[in-house]
Amino acid sequence: MKDIIRAKCLISSDIEALINQQIKKEAHSSAIYLAMASWCNQNGFDFSSDYFFKQAEEERMHQLKFYKYVLDMGGSAISPDITNVKQEYNSFREVFEEALDQEISVTQSIKNIAARCYKEQDFVTLEFLNWFFKEQREEEYKARRALELFDVIGEEGTGRWEIDKHVNKISYQEA
Amino acid sequence: MQKTKSQISLPTARFDEVFSTEKGAIYQSDEEVCWYVDFAGKLAKFDYRNLLKLQKAVYKIDIENLLLSSDKSPDLEIIFICACDHCYVLSLIEIISLKELLQGAFVMLELNHIIFDRLHRLVG
Ligand SMILES: [Fe+2]
Ligand SMILES: [Fe+2]
Repeated sequence: MKDIIRAKCLISSDIEALINQQIKKEAHSSAIYLAMASWCNQNGFDFSSDYFFKQAEEERMHQLKFYKYVLDMGGSAISPDITNVKQEYNSFREVFEEALDQEISVTQSIKNIAARCYKEQDFVTLEFLNWFFKEQREEEYKARRALELFDVIGEEGTGRWEIDKHVNKISYQEA
Repeated sequence: MQKTKSQISLPTARFDEVFSTEKGAIYQSDEEVCWYVDFAGKLAKFDYRNLLKLQKAVYKIDIENLLLSSDKSPDLEIIFICACDHCYVLSLIEIISLKELLQGAFVMLELNHIIFDRLHRLVG
């Protein structure tokens, strides 16, 4: 008896399910960043708003990259339902705290996929995930640096205005 | 046996039994690259995509909920798969049997995959 399923699809159904979950997570991230961009814009933090618009686009790109991978491997990619997008924030600082939390949880869930890949010896998907690990290095760095501005500059007086100006200048030089 | 088969001109394609229970069976045809599901009085052909869709459709039925629901609606579930010629109208008992059949078949397919990976693809 031939192994028909393997001939049709390179990744296992478990890996496919995990990547579909990740697709949803990236789409959710994108939606959250868009909400953050809106909040920042409405509260007068224009540079931060731009920063989150860019982040939203990047997350969308991550989503598509996972999506295309599943399809390229012969699997079925699922276009996700996105609900529970937080629209309101209590403070400027809270926006950045949640942005960092979001990135940490994304890194964690990609690590989880990789752990499953090791178990199955799916080196093909592992290699694909490497791009994302590198990306997460940068994503977490930027989110952490942004949050640190609140301590370095301080929120008193024109502090928030100063923080907002600096957010857009954060860049990551690869180690 | 072989003679009777050819006399009534059944399809000549070779089938391998993937898994069977008292209520049904699933066969694989290597030549046609598909599966035949013998269940609820009919033999239905499924290609790769449709077999996965059938699996998904059956697995997502909340059997426990159907068992516990006290409303008077008949315990019939329609399993319809988009872009597939087959459709099942099944009772609760039949759903449980079909689920068991599919679960068994997918375990056997997984086992076949492991054997291919560890044996044929390494040695062959
Ligand atoms: Fe991402
Ligand atoms: Fe990100």
